[in-house]
Amino acid sequence: MPGSIIAQMAVSGALMGLVYALIAYGFQLTYATSKSLNFGQGELVMVSAFFSLTLINLGLPYLLVIPGGLLFGALLGLAVERTGVRLALEQKSEGWILLTIIIGLFLFSFAENIWGRDDRPFPTPIPSTPVHVLGVDVTWLEISVLVGVLAVMGLIELFKRRTLLGKAVEAVAADRDAAELMGISATRTVVLSYALSGGVAALAGILVSPITTVGPTMAASFVLKAFSVAVVAGLESGFGVVLIGLFLGALESLASFYIGSGWREAPGLLLLILALAVRPTGVFGKAVIRKV
Amino acid sequence: MLVVRNLHAGYGLSEVLVGTSLEVKAGTVVALIGANGAGKTTTMRAVSGLLRPSKGEVILDGTPVQGMEASQIAQMGLAHSPEGRKVFGPLSTEDNLLLGAYRRLPHFVGFHAKAADDLERVYELFPRLKERRKQPAGTLSGGEQQMLAIGRALMARPKVMLLDEPSMGLAPVIVQEVFRTIARLKAEGMTMLLVEQFARAALQVADYAYVMERGTIAIEGTPDELRAHERVVAAYLG
Repeated sequence: MPGSIIAQMAVSGALMGLVYALIAYGFQLTYATSKSLNFGQGELVMVSAFFSLTLINLGLPYLLVIPGGLLFGALLGLAVERTGVRLALEQKSEGWILLTIIIGLFLFSFAENIWGRDDRPFPTPIPSTPVHVLGVDVTWLEISVLVGVLAVMGLIELFKRRTLLGKAVEAVAADRDAAELMGISATRTVVLSYALSGGVAALAGILVSPITTVGPTMAASFVLKAFSVAVVAGLESGFGVVLIGLFLGALESLASFYIGSGWREAPGLLLLILALAVRPTGVFGKAVIRKV
Repeated sequence: MLVVRNLHAGYGLSEVLVGTSLEVKAGTVVALIGANGAGKTTTMRAVSGLLRPSKGEVILDGTPVQGMEASQIAQMGLAHSPEGRKVFGPLSTEDNLLLGAYRRLPHFVGFHAKAADDLERVYELFPRLKERRKQPAGTLSGGEQQMLAIGRALMARPKVMLLDEPSMGLAPVIVQEVFRTIARLKAEGMTMLLVEQFARAALQVADYAYVMERGTIAIEGTPDELRAHERVVAAYLG
């Protein structure tokens, strides 16, 4: 049954690819408003996952753990903006690159010291039993990833299109000075985008932890792939990251099955190199000519 | 309504404004004319807060605002239609207008209903914008974008409106339409500071005018006085 094996591998890979898409979306959120992004985003995923695990261990019901984890991620996002990004942006410097890397390293050591180096299981009421859909087996956990990713991205896109505050975020992304002239504080908009981005990172952690387990290094490879997805899709299109995320996830899964598990990391890097060589603005990106 | 005193501002080490002073009284239109590079746009940017003045005062309706963020100054009732129009290209024409009223509207729900009257007024002023209301602003023609930029500034119901080069790059017919609109807004009592290359047209709508040279006000007076001024005629009206 080689056909059905291919389909099976592609589908489960693609569903994991949605996690790349979600983390990549977090990059897009802050890049749109501030032209900066958090290079420690993976550590936000990981620390938020550990925090959520702690909430579970404290006996909190799962339905409270999710908002608790998201809130924690959003607060971390705020902290990153305040400590690592704002000062650099005010100075019109690229210092945020180094600062966010440093914050990531700090969070990594912090997690190792608080929660230890071991990978731990992340208990969840969502069963890992498979269901049979259109000829392939999908677990409920994988379905929860699909639902969670699409729901939160859909909500944020709805917020951007349907509320005046959301339109203000789009306005800052389009033209920061003009937005300021409307009375929209660009600084506060950047703060908001970092909070959203942190929440999105936390959700990625909560969704993926039951599948991968929780540990200090859990997000390292995810974030690398997410970065590839963001660059390949272009740093503007939310729709683009979902498509590229699905595609890369499926490709990785097939590569590791047919060529060997060591090749799992290859497609992401190949796609990245290909995109940079052929279409540096990303598949869904628009070429922007920056006047200087 | 708007008083500027001894304003100094610039980019990096180069100072563009070296002590500009001017006043816009409530209900009047004041024109700021001068050659390219004289500092007209820099004056506008320093007044609205896009550029932080290094020295001097900007007083809006009795309150000193120099050194504030542009968004705070806008919240206090100053609307600036900037040089180059700067509409939000990916957003629809109507969203651009709604954002113009950002300081007065609820940020989550009900903003559209609350802005309905103001939208109607702008659409009545510029019927073309109504036809284009769902279109991304970036796809509008230059003239339509200029109308949008003025309409967006009006949506704020500002105390003072700064209009920077509203005629730049537009066909003569459209320029006439823009100036008719400015005259109409003036008749409705809008307070405006107008920067314009077309000195002749600007003097026709203005109550008072300033001529800028090398970062400071060189000559000032009523339009009649300036039209009789030998140097102004030679340099700007010839």
